[in-house]
Amino acid sequence: MLHIILLCVSAVCLAVGIIGIAFAKSSKTVGNDPKKAKKKKMLFTVLAVFGGWLLIGTLITMFSSIKAGMKIEFALFSESISLFGLPVAKTTLVSFVITGIVLILGIIFRLFIFPKFSLESPKGFQNVMELGVEAMENFAKDSLLDYSGQLAPYMFTLALFMILSAFTELFGLRAPTSDLTTTFAMGLITFVLINFYGIKKKGVGGRIKGMTKPTPLVFPMKILSDIAVPVSLACRLFGNMLGGMIVMDLLKSVLGGYASGIPAVAGLYFNLFHPVIQAYIFIILSMTFINEAIE
Amino acid sequence: MSAIGAGLAMLTALGAGFGMCMATAKAVESVARQPEASGKINSILLLGCALAESTAIYAFVVALVLAVK
Repeated sequence: MLHIILLCVSAVCLAVGIIGIAFAKSSKTVGNDPKKAKKKKMLFTVLAVFGGWLLIGTLITMFSSIKAGMKIEFALFSESISLFGLPVAKTTLVSFVITGIVLILGIIFRLFIFPKFSLESPKGFQNVMELGVEAMENFAKDSLLDYSGQLAPYMFTLALFMILSAFTELFGLRAPTSDLTTTFAMGLITFVLINFYGIKKKGVGGRIKGMTKPTPLVFPMKILSDIAVPVSLACRLFGNMLGGMIVMDLLKSVLGGYASGIPAVAGLYFNLFHPVIQAYIFIILSMTFINEAIE
Repeated sequence: MSAIGAGLAMLTALGAGFGMCMATAKAVESVARQPEASGKINSILLLGCALAESTAIYAFVVALVLAVK
């Protein structure tokens, strides 16, 4: 009964909206006040969009088993599937796919697009690429000093991986960065890089000496804070991504069949803006810690 | 019982929110005083906010571990 009423209301809204838009378009020249006519047209557009949304939502609720207020379920670790007899987490598979996409794109760019670039007259796509690479290099130069040439590409790739993996959430998959194993692996790579470049710059003795800087008493604390670096990096990224995922899941489960349109707007923040900020923070923190070690 | 613990753990967000609010207030003040340094202040603010936020994130992870059982 409720569905029928909702269907009627939505149909009326849609019809009135579309007729209103068409009418406003045809009587544009006759309209006395252009500002008022524009406002009226906008009102009709909003009405038509609302009617369409209600219609689609009601139809989905009527003809499928999706109900609002479904219990959401999430696990700390992603469920695993069997691959050639080995248990592999779903997020690991997704991250393999993302790595493959990045790899194939890189090979295509290197073999087919880069040879066409000209040094004298850059144009179009080349300008975009140069802008990105130059921005990353300038960004890395402040904190990575002499090693910016070696580490800037790695940091750029890391950011690309993080942003692309956040996009997989749009396809209903769990993002690799919302799994603690992936983020912890990234944190460990940063930990290895910190020690590798610290030792490369100052030698083993210099690195240990740097840890006893003000007094030898702080040595255990410095060791502890060094070990805390990958843990904090991993937990930060994991918590942020999982938080975003849970908020999106909550929104979808609350809306039920009406979850068309509105989650897309929220996804603009949680799947687009938020991952970019988190990737920025991850690489800037990595660079700050490496800078601390090599300075 | 674990739900209460998870709720209590999230009280940490109070401190993180207060810290981030202080940092942002000071950043706004300094940008108003020196608009030409806004780029540098922006990056420092983001870094500081990320570090201040991490306590809330730890609390969130702890709450999740308590809640998901």
